[in-house]
Amino acid sequence: MTRYVALRLLQGVGVLWLVATVTFALLRLLPGGPFDREKVLPPEVLRNVEARYQLDAPVAVQYLRYLQGLVHGDLGPSYKYVGRDVADILRDAFPVSIGLGALALGLALGFGVSLGLVAGTHRGRPPDHAATLLAVLGMSVPSFVLGALLILVAGLWLGWFPAALWEGPLYAILPALTLAATPAAYVARLTRAGVLDVIDLDYIRTARAKGLSESRVRVHHILRNALLAVVTYFGPLLAVLLTGSFIVEQIFAIPGMGRFFVTAVTNRDYPLVLGVTLVYAALVVLANLAVDLLYAWLDPRIRLGGAER
Amino acid sequence: MPRAVWGFLLLGALACLPRAAPPPGVLRINLGTEPPTLDWTRATDSVSIQVIDQLMRGLAELGPDLRPVPALAERWEVTPDGRVYTFHLREGVRWTDGEPLRAEHFVYAWRRLLDPQTAAEYAYFLFPVRGARAYNAGKLRDPNAIGVRALDGRTLRVELEGPLVYFPSITTFMVTYPARRDVIEAYGERWTEPEHIVTLGPFRLEAWEHEYRILLRPNHDYFAGPPRLKQIAAYMVTEGSTALILFEQGILDIVRVPPLEIRRLSSHPGYRRVPALRGYYYGFNTEEAPFDDSRVRRAFGMAIDRAELPKVLRGGELAASFWIPPGMPHHNPSIGLRFDAEGARRLLRDAGVDPAKLPPIRVVYNTDQTHRLVAQNIQKQWQNNLGVRVELDSREWKVFLKELVVKPSPVYRLGWGADFPDPDNFMSLFASYSANNHTRWGSPRYDRLVERAARERDPSRRQALYDEAQRILCEREVPIVPLFVSAINLLVSERIEGFEPNPMDLMFFEGVEAH
Repeated sequence: MTRYVALRLLQGVGVLWLVATVTFALLRLLPGGPFDREKVLPPEVLRNVEARYQLDAPVAVQYLRYLQGLVHGDLGPSYKYVGRDVADILRDAFPVSIGLGALALGLALGFGVSLGLVAGTHRGRPPDHAATLLAVLGMSVPSFVLGALLILVAGLWLGWFPAALWEGPLYAILPALTLAATPAAYVARLTRAGVLDVIDLDYIRTARAKGLSESRVRVHHILRNALLAVVTYFGPLLAVLLTGSFIVEQIFAIPGMGRFFVTAVTNRDYPLVLGVTLVYAALVVLANLAVDLLYAWLDPRIRLGGAER
Repeated sequence: MPRAVWGFLLLGALACLPRAAPPPGVLRINLGTEPPTLDWTRATDSVSIQVIDQLMRGLAELGPDLRPVPALAERWEVTPDGRVYTFHLREGVRWTDGEPLRAEHFVYAWRRLLDPQTAAEYAYFLFPVRGARAYNAGKLRDPNAIGVRALDGRTLRVELEGPLVYFPSITTFMVTYPARRDVIEAYGERWTEPEHIVTLGPFRLEAWEHEYRILLRPNHDYFAGPPRLKQIAAYMVTEGSTALILFEQGILDIVRVPPLEIRRLSSHPGYRRVPALRGYYYGFNTEEAPFDDSRVRRAFGMAIDRAELPKVLRGGELAASFWIPPGMPHHNPSIGLRFDAEGARRLLRDAGVDPAKLPPIRVVYNTDQTHRLVAQNIQKQWQNNLGVRVELDSREWKVFLKELVVKPSPVYRLGWGADFPDPDNFMSLFASYSANNHTRWGSPRYDRLVERAARERDPSRRQALYDEAQRILCEREVPIVPLFVSAINLLVSERIEGFEPNPMDLMFFEGVEAH
């Protein structure tokens, strides 16, 4: 087990190196540089700026320097935010995004799983139809529409929650709901499908025949197996939350790192783009590892790392 | 559920709206984004300026008519040849740590701006100073050779490369503000954080929550008297419509009006509009047919009814056939091509151009709703008035900028906002040697006129020089077609008193009160 985790972490480092390399290459292939301005810089000024950020060296050298910094945990300086290191910027913004993302994840799983369970166990009956309708809505309404609606209705008209800004736990409700809507809908669909897969299997009948209470059957026998499908979705789910955070953080004026996803690219702030990408890649790598570990726990038939155990 | 119950529930919900009365004396504004830096020597962008101008002052500041008036300098004089300026600093100006302002703080700041190691993007604002450009290029090693010297604690002498009448205007710009060597050397990159920064303007930095908000407190030792506000909270709400909702909730006091909302809100009691010192134009690549012929360029300029653009954009834009915008000295509204579709077609014929046989004219703009609306309107006008085919193409911003330098499209859009309110800032743009002239057009006569105007001290002679240069630019040679001057659209809360929007898009809050 330990060996398996160590191996996977090692693979993760490889993945991060690959991500860094591809991102680095793609950024340099993108036309337009960080110091191409509407007000064009005189050549001597441009030379000074490029020298300061070592952009005057050959790209291969820049790449090696970047990797070297990375090994030492140095993500480099931001080109846009003068005098701030990418690490400083991410240190400020990352906890905000993670907090918001965790809340949204909780909401997505909570809503999604309960909705899916209700739908699956009431197949073809009104609760199933209602749940399916909600799921379709959740999947098809884009977050910028939902966010704007929530701001308008729950924030401006009803005044139940703050419309925007980031001053306390109450301020996280609307953005987290917005962020959670789409993944919650997916989770609901997956849970429903998972429930339907197992609901007619023999062991469920056995459980009922043993005289277990219906709620015990549902939670311990049906749900546990239905969740396997949801757990598979965990990696993509995290990706949806992360990329969704750009729009949500923007419309709710939240100081997270989602906004850098796009603005850093528009600014050609190479180190910041790389930093954000690497942090997100690391998150996805860790999430996938967690998924595989969860699998083994949920389904005893699965063996990790071959048949060694 | 009966409707009455719903209504009751709704009322109840409305009653618990968290509308705490805004604290008196506190002004809440929106910066839109995080200022990239508060280091005024290295700043380049409008958001940073917005904060820096609360924290700092320069030798001069902009008066109500946008002419430079004394600030940290109580007066200045210039030698008859226009090459040497002597600034006399005001007595009793103190930094927020109690240190008195000295002339050497300017010398240090200017050398730092020009030092190649600093890599300040706006170093070129001081290139008119003797030796500055060579020092910045690394050709001159000795900082003492730069033409800025502290004659004593309160006298600063500046030697220029050549006479320059608008030099005091440049000293209103943030990159020329004084700076403290001891502070910057002690704290390095972190000297602009609230616990280290030392300033001397009307407000001081209290807190900087990155990507979220900046808090400012009044500087009670400010040389012109302390401001009336107790605090400024400057938020960084990127989304214009979110900022608008926060304004409607009474959480923000001054916001920009998103373009789509201007029509709805123009009757709001807090709505303010001022024309900006920002011009919008179409440029031609004058090296390629058909725009290598000035008659063709003129025809395309005459075929545009500029009055249509403000109607399409609805942002309070002002149709402009001239390049020096209103509000700037030496503006002349009579300059520029008038709309004349018939004359335009005749000109094309004279140039031997058959519109029907012309390949489609490609107009390129950077992806943005306003630019698209403009391009579509111009496309329609050129097709209708000239009978040419027009193709539109959009590019992501940085790709667009790169292409402008490498290979400009036959027609491109661009704008220019004033850095300091002198016509030179607009007119030298199209000198043949200007890096910002993407038209590949150059006229020795235009260059000479603009250079002479920069030296000319007599206002009426200066006016004549700029009129002549503008006629070459906008009527005869037409490498560019000015289209309109943008406007600044703001909503200001009723609790705010004494706030005046500024055509440079700067905001000053010394005289502002918040009830």
